[in-house]
Order: sequence, then C-alpha cells, then structure tokens
Amino acid sequence: MTDSFRQSQGRKVVSRATAEALGELNHMVVDSSRRHVTAVVVGEGKKHAFLVDWEHVSGFGPDAVMVESKETLRSPADDQEQAAVEGKLELVGKRALSERGNEKGSITDVEFDPESGDIGSVLVGEERIPATNILGLGSYAAVLASPHDDQ
Amino acid sequence: MKLLVAASAITGLPVVTVAGGEDVAEVRDVIYSPELGSLVGLTLNKRGFLSGRRRQVLPVELIHAIGEDAVMVRDETALTEPGEAPREVGKPATERNVLGDDVLTEGGVSLGKVSDLVLVVGSKGEVVGYQIEKAEGGTAYIPLPAQLSVSGSALVVPPATQEFVRDDLVGFGAAVDEFRERLGMS
Repeated sequence: MTDSFRQSQGRKVVSRATAEALGELNHMVVDSSRRHVTAVVVGEGKKHAFLVDWEHVSGFGPDAVMVESKETLRSPADDQEQAAVEGKLELVGKRALSERGNEKGSITDVEFDPESGDIGSVLVGEERIPATNILGLGSYAAVLASPHDDQ
Repeated sequence: MKLLVAASAITGLPVVTVAGGEDVAEVRDVIYSPELGSLVGLTLNKRGFLSGRRRQVLPVELIHAIGEDAVMVRDETALTEPGEAPREVGKPATERNVLGDDVLTEGGVSLGKVSDLVLVVGSKGEVVGYQIEKAEGGTAYIPLPAQLSVSGSALVVPPATQEFVRDDLVGFGAAVDEFRERLGMS
C-alpha cells in the first residue's frame, strides 16, 4: 500500500489511548539518507506544533493517523527538528536540483509506505523519481542524482 | 551536445552541497588561468541579503559540477581557506585577468577585446572560448586553442580563429569542436 505526503496532509491525528483528537497532520519529517519518515508534525505555529516520532505512530490510516497517546507529542529537540517543525525541510514544494546544478522544478509529492514509513519515490512535476536518487535534503533544495542529465 | 554559458552568468549562483541540500555560499567571481585555459577556482560571497565577501575560496578540483542554476560541491568542507588553497586560487594575480585584453591573430588582426569567458556547463570549468567586444561594435565569440601567448594586455590566437568567430552562443559549441579539430587538438 502507498500513501502520499499530499494526500495525508491535514489528516486528523488521534490518540489511540483516549480517542482524543490531537490536531492535524502538518509535515512529515524525513531522514533523507535512510529514505524513511522519522516523525510527523502535528499542528502548526511556533507554540502549537509538536513532533511524534514514527515509532509512536501506531496506525497511519487513510482517515486518521493514530498515535499511542497524547504524551507522545513532544517539542523539537534541536535546530534541525525546529526547522522541520517550521516546514523548512518540507519535501513537497522543495526546489529539486540535479547534482549537475540544474533545476528540475519542484517536488510535488512524496510516496511512502504507511506501514513501514519507507519513502518509495518523489514526484517532480509529473516525473516519478525513485527515492534512492535523493542525495541530500536541506533548506535550499533536494539534490537528486542525475544519471541521464545533460552529460 | 555541449551546453555553454558565459562566466559572468555564474556570478551570483548559489553554491549548494550535494549531501546537505544547503546553499552555503554564492559565487562572487571566477578565477581564471589563461595559461591553462580553465577556471582554477571561484571567489565567494556570503549567502543572503546584505551579504559580504567570504574569506574562503572554492578551488576547481573541489567543485562537483557547474550547472545553469547552481554550483554544486560535495559538502561545506569544499570551501577552502585561502592559505590552504593552491596558490593561484588563494592569491590570484589580478594582472592575469584577460578581461579587456586585445585579441590579436598571428597575422596582426585585432578581433576585439575580451569581455567574458565561455564555459562548458556541467564540466569542472573548462573554458572553450572568449566573448569579445568587436572593434566595430557588438559582441562575438571566439574559440580558444591551447593558449598561445598572453601578456597581460593582449593575447595572440592562430589566424584560423577568424573563421570561427560566431555572433551568438547557439552553434558556437560546434564551432569550437570544428576549430579544435582543424588545429589537431581533438
């Protein structure tokens, strides 16, 4: 099964322990070298956005994202996480730059496995690019390997 | 096909890390060696609004690729302290700048004055030609052989250069290849 970052954005986040709605899914935090979702960001704004580590996401479903409990919501622990919470490392909308230094447009969506959190591919415009081609992800750009780029 | 770009178009491009996707600097200027017919490095500015000069330089060996939208480096360690860079990069001699030099053929014909360098996109800074300001006005492009002689105020090119002068960059790549073939360079 495959889900996508765009499809899941705004999905409600619910505590499995209390059935309480905790907010809306806002961003996905990814480890670009492991091509894996490491956390989800619930809510938005400096004071109202929290992280839930992927291991505490008990069920990433089509209608709701279930997390173990309200206690699994935590504040960003470092600058990297702060940037992620603020959406600065958001993959969707990020400039796509080939490793040859040519812009390829921007990332329109990211497809991942909601069971494992593994990222399968990214869409740049209409083109589907395997996640193994992501070389680096930062505030400026997602750098993509370019096997058939100009030279 | 070779994609060509004027060196002046590189200034202002972000320097982006492949591993990190971060824009760590911005190109201030190119450092060119007329003897080698190649870029030897880049000087840098800090990134962002009201940014100033960065002390570090980027030697050409540490450039991953020069593209149309960015100069790529593997990571931030590519930015080198001038003292640790090769001499021609760390302390470039300003009089080696060819911009403004008169281009003379061996036969003593002036083709114009150098106004820019023409680079191959995606390469590590190979310079294949010069943009010149023609004496009669307007710009043109001339292919570059293995450099003949450079004095600091003029450079001398083979007479055949004259036949390969092009008015725009479209088709100039082919002219370079043809020219070099003629000179037995490739």
